[in-house]
Amino acid sequence: MERILRYLNPLARLGNRKYSIVFPLFTTLAGCLLLEFWGNVILHNPSATGIFAIILLLGMIVYFSFRDGMRGGLIASVITIAYYFYIIITRNQGEDQLRSSIQTVLLLGLVYLFVAATVGGLKQKLDRMIEGEADEKRRLQAIIHQLPVGLVITNNKGAVVETNKQLENIVGVKIPIGYEMGKDDSLVKGEHGMPTWPRISPLVQSISTGRAVVRKDFVIMGPNNKKTIIQVSATPVKNKQGKVIAAVSIITDLTQQREMEKRKDDFVNIASHELKTPLTSMKLYIDSLSNRLKDQVDSKSMRTLKGIQYQTERLQDLVSDLLDVSRIQTGKLHFEKEKFSLDKMINETVEELQRSTKGQKIIYSKKTSITVNADKFRISQVMTNLLTNAIKYSPPDTNIVISTKKNGKYVFVSVQDQGLGIDKSEHKKIFERLYQVGDAKEKTYPGLGMGLYISKEIIKRHRGNIWVESEKGKGSKFFFSLPL
Amino acid sequence: MSKNILIVDDDEGILDALSMVLEDAGFMVETTSKGNQTFKKINKFKPNLILLDVLLSGEDGRFICKMLKQDNETREIPVVMISAHPSAKTSIKEYGADSFLAKPFSTEVLLKTINEFTS
Repeated sequence: MERILRYLNPLARLGNRKYSIVFPLFTTLAGCLLLEFWGNVILHNPSATGIFAIILLLGMIVYFSFRDGMRGGLIASVITIAYYFYIIITRNQGEDQLRSSIQTVLLLGLVYLFVAATVGGLKQKLDRMIEGEADEKRRLQAIIHQLPVGLVITNNKGAVVETNKQLENIVGVKIPIGYEMGKDDSLVKGEHGMPTWPRISPLVQSISTGRAVVRKDFVIMGPNNKKTIIQVSATPVKNKQGKVIAAVSIITDLTQQREMEKRKDDFVNIASHELKTPLTSMKLYIDSLSNRLKDQVDSKSMRTLKGIQYQTERLQDLVSDLLDVSRIQTGKLHFEKEKFSLDKMINETVEELQRSTKGQKIIYSKKTSITVNADKFRISQVMTNLLTNAIKYSPPDTNIVISTKKNGKYVFVSVQDQGLGIDKSEHKKIFERLYQVGDAKEKTYPGLGMGLYISKEIIKRHRGNIWVESEKGKGSKFFFSLPL
Repeated sequence: MSKNILIVDDDEGILDALSMVLEDAGFMVETTSKGNQTFKKINKFKPNLILLDVLLSGEDGRFICKMLKQDNETREIPVVMISAHPSAKTSIKEYGADSFLAKPFSTEVLLKTINEFTS
């Protein structure tokens, strides 16, 4: 309601500037009453028109000369009053013309009010548009140009309406305003067979599908004809009705980042070779030595040799885990699926672990004849991780129980121990990279916190699930599922 | 009759350890750390099996394997490739390798793999 009133009342819309209209008008009316009160008629139609034309003109001049409407209005009023006094002093006219003069004054006053209000309102609107919107546009353009990423804005037909400086720096050419993405292929063809702009534009895709296209990588011919890897994301801009009205695309230069990633991958490859080669030699030497000495040496020397053997295995596991974590990070953990018997795999793993475990007994009783299609080596790695953890956190002379169950389209495997147990707050965290259970007060256990993270990734990539059911002090039961 | 095994690896430690283990197991062993010496060694030594590292200094073991498998005289000799990368297992098949050992492997696995081709 208030808004409607404001809209209907031009004076209200003028804000402070309304005084520039109100003051001269009231002084004009006051002047007329003053004349009547004195009984001297000094106005008649023709001169009243002249007077008001002058007042109107003066009001306008003053109004437009002052940004502050209040001051402009006061000055206009002072001029009007001064003019009346001049008329009162210099003129004296017939009483019979008083009525028509007052009517003229009122009529002209209304005309004056209307014109001034309209002009004032328009002017103010114009001012706001020119000042405000120009400011807004300048500010927006400054932001767009100083963005640390390349930016392209198109209309809903895919024609470029805005780009920024950073985009030019990344792609090496200025994409002209009006360039039609997806239609004009002059930039796509490029000069040397390499595109300066991606052939499949995510912008066009986002317009046609109405959905955002996130982080697509393209190889283009960048500045100085250098191979450049760019990452493009595009999102459609929709109006309230959900219609696509424009599209915005952000372009980042990934060349350097990809180069660093490649260097890191290369480093991992080299490190894997460099670490695994001496490990292989060590293992072979130890095997050879223990084979030679098995019937000759005393039990203490044999214990030492076994110790070296065990520690070498541990070192080997750590190196493998580190490399696996690195592979997961770089998306290079590959699987080779094959059909195998779950029972057989579990039995083999149990057998191998039980050989080096004296304290706890690993029991696998509930057997089912299930064949799964998965990476046998990796699933057995998950099994080993779960069992090794169970052994690590369980007191001696306790049982670790494995069970398998088929349910619908999945097979569920569980490993239950009678160990320390895990607080509920840590049930999710333990599957995070490099997370370890235990705090400063608690006894810490060896390990780098990689086993469960790797296991989770392996199971996740097999479209299965891995989780734990446990309470502090009441043992843990780890589950994983695999699709059949 | 003992079988001959040629080991091609640029790491002296591996060559020494492998020789020791294989000699213990009753094989005759010959080694070279240079890939380009492979054919020369084969002519002299007539191996029953070749253990070939994928990553040799300055050379690619896989190409040596391919050459061995393209040559009528060496085609029949089983080649077991060794690599620290488990993923190499798939790629070496394209080069004609007969089997693969991922480092670090145990003596047990090594002998099992070799015996598949020599016994």
